[in-house]
Amino acid sequence: MTGPVPSGIDEIGLLPGSHVCAFYRGDADRDRLLTGYLGAGLTAGDKCICIVDSAGTAKRLEALPGASGEPGPFDGQLDIHLPESTYLADGEFTTSDMLTFWTENMIKAEIEGYSFYRLVGEMTWALRNVPGVEHLVGYESELNRVTSSYPVIVLCLYDLDRFSGEVVVNVVKTHPQVLVQGILVENPYYIGPDEFLRSASP
Amino acid sequence: MLRASPSSNGAMRARPGNAEDESLRERLGEFRALLVISLLMAESVSEDQILDLAASSAAGLGAWRIDGYSFTDGQWRPSIGGCAPSPAGLARQLAALGAVSSKVDLPGRRWAWAYPLRGVGGLLGHLIASSDQEPSAEQRFMIQVLAQQTGVAVSNARLHAKERATAAELAVTNTALAETVTNLRRSMDIHQRLTQVAVSGEGQPGIAKALHELTGMPVAIEDRYGNLSAWAGPGQPDPYPKESFAKREQLLRRLIRAGQPVRDGERLSLLASPRSDVIGVLALIDPQRRADSADLVALEHGGTVLSMELARLRGIADTELRLRRDLVHDLLAEALAYDLRRPHRVVVVEGRGRTQAQDALLTAVRRAMRLARQTGLCETWSGNVAIVTAGQADWDQMCRVIMSDVGIRCHIGVGGACGRPAELPRSLREAGLALRLQKTLLHGGGACEYPKLGIFRMLAGISDLTDVDTFVREWLGSLLDYDARRKAELVHTLTQYLEHGGNYDATAAELSVHKSTLKYRLQRIRELTGLELNDPDVHFNLQLATRAWGTLQALHDER
Repeated sequence: MTGPVPSGIDEIGLLPGSHVCAFYRGDADRDRLLTGYLGAGLTAGDKCICIVDSAGTAKRLEALPGASGEPGPFDGQLDIHLPESTYLADGEFTTSDMLTFWTENMIKAEIEGYSFYRLVGEMTWALRNVPGVEHLVGYESELNRVTSSYPVIVLCLYDLDRFSGEVVVNVVKTHPQVLVQGILVENPYYIGPDEFLRSASP
Repeated sequence: MLRASPSSNGAMRARPGNAEDESLRERLGEFRALLVISLLMAESVSEDQILDLAASSAAGLGAWRIDGYSFTDGQWRPSIGGCAPSPAGLARQLAALGAVSSKVDLPGRRWAWAYPLRGVGGLLGHLIASSDQEPSAEQRFMIQVLAQQTGVAVSNARLHAKERATAAELAVTNTALAETVTNLRRSMDIHQRLTQVAVSGEGQPGIAKALHELTGMPVAIEDRYGNLSAWAGPGQPDPYPKESFAKREQLLRRLIRAGQPVRDGERLSLLASPRSDVIGVLALIDPQRRADSADLVALEHGGTVLSMELARLRGIADTELRLRRDLVHDLLAEALAYDLRRPHRVVVVEGRGRTQAQDALLTAVRRAMRLARQTGLCETWSGNVAIVTAGQADWDQMCRVIMSDVGIRCHIGVGGACGRPAELPRSLREAGLALRLQKTLLHGGGACEYPKLGIFRMLAGISDLTDVDTFVREWLGSLLDYDARRKAELVHTLTQYLEHGGNYDATAAELSVHKSTLKYRLQRIRELTGLELNDPDVHFNLQLATRAWGTLQALHDER
């Protein structure tokens, strides 16, 4: 699969390997993005892995219709995680651990027979007062390296009501694509992981 | 496993490796980020959100910061971590600046710059940026763009807020208008329904039924004594309760004073009274006190229709009475062959007593007429009894018969004869005038015939009484003024004295005073007028003046 796939959001198509940062305002807007994105993936038979910030959101996603048009269970097609077992496992955020998590899950999905994956992460965990959250932007940059090697599209969700303008700027600078107000803004000049590591070094 | 190939969407690109290119890409990346910030600000409708987003994005865009925003209305809005009160001297510098960007002096800042925030309506204020070292030209350009985008976004947010306020105001106005229309429609329904009742002749039951349908409450219509005239709706009491007379009178007085619906326990009552002697009460039975303004409108309108109905009923009663009287007259003139073409005169009999005694007086007059073998038409008239007769009786004798019959003092005024019925009003006027002169000027009770009044008749016939009035003032002016001032009766005393030919005993008896009192009064008259009453000329003129005064009084009372 080399052509664009439907993202499920506002008729936007994404090429495999895309790492998109999506800005939204409020829970309703977030749920719209999540259900559209994951719903399209479930319908297409993609492996969907998502990390959401609350059990309530997770429960709502479990009721999404699957490939058959009926709501879950999805027999392993949709994996839903919370930050406590992923981004903030062991009580802190580590970029390498998180990249390993995604890589292992994608390999596992391939073994299960899936040919395409959709990853999505709700990033509000980064607002918690937990060690390692300051590495958020670096992590986002490193994630580009991983996604470019797999048949995958990745969506990172940022709540504009909670993240500052500085985070928005830095996220835009490190993401090749940004989804804002239904517009996919491409950034051909995004800072790649190597470059980011160089600029971040003292 | 499939591997993604380098994509055209920028996911992975070949990148130039030298430092100059990296710097250029970084700038371009920052402008992309600024573009996203601009998009986010443009879609926001919150001014605070816009200003916070712009200020917090500065740290990601370069080594500079936004200290805050100064608006043209004098308001200073610091960014997070900025100086809370407006920096000293900043307002003065900005006032001189106008709508251009310029360097400003900020305490503790090596470089500080004010960038105008322009909106669609003109200058909104300035964005104040600062840095520990002067930013590059590219960075200054970026700050300028951010300020420009912030200004447009704030302007749009304000317009949006204004539109929302206008929309909210319009919504309130629309709600009020809808309420007014609803009320108006209900008022029209009320008006239409009750007007229909008024013209359809449904009577009091129809009024009660319509009001019940309009308000949903039971309705009672009562007469002035509290008797039920009509009821509509459920729960009619049986037997219908009756208030005590005193309580009923108290309620009626309250209703008359209020002139509008009055709460009376479980009822809202309204008086319907087209005439002082016609009274009805319209009541809404409202124990839950849920009557609203429209119900009150319906009640008041219902009261108007009830007044019309009561007036109509009374009108019918009056008409029937008049018809009965006209019938009697027709019988007399035609059926009984009474000859109305003989000379007739009008005689008015006044009996001093209660109104209820009118019927007794009328009966006594008829009886006296029969005794005197006189024929004529007798009827009560303005509290008196009027007789139209062709006969010429001994009216003094008839007066005595009537007085002995009814036991009250009475006077009779007799008008002049008239050859045809059209002259009867003139004869009636003369009878009235004679009656008043009899009562006020002439001595004793009995009858007074206008044709025999002599000088009085001559005076009463003068059309322009100005000279008569002047003459009276000339001779009696001082006494009239004295009487008016002291509520005395010197003119009346003088009149009776002269009319009784200077006889002290007869005058005192007529006035019902002691002779010494009469003498004192006459002395007072002499002092006030300076006239000698025994002088023949003075006597003549004074008598003429007192008779003229009496005539003027009688004519005045007539009018």
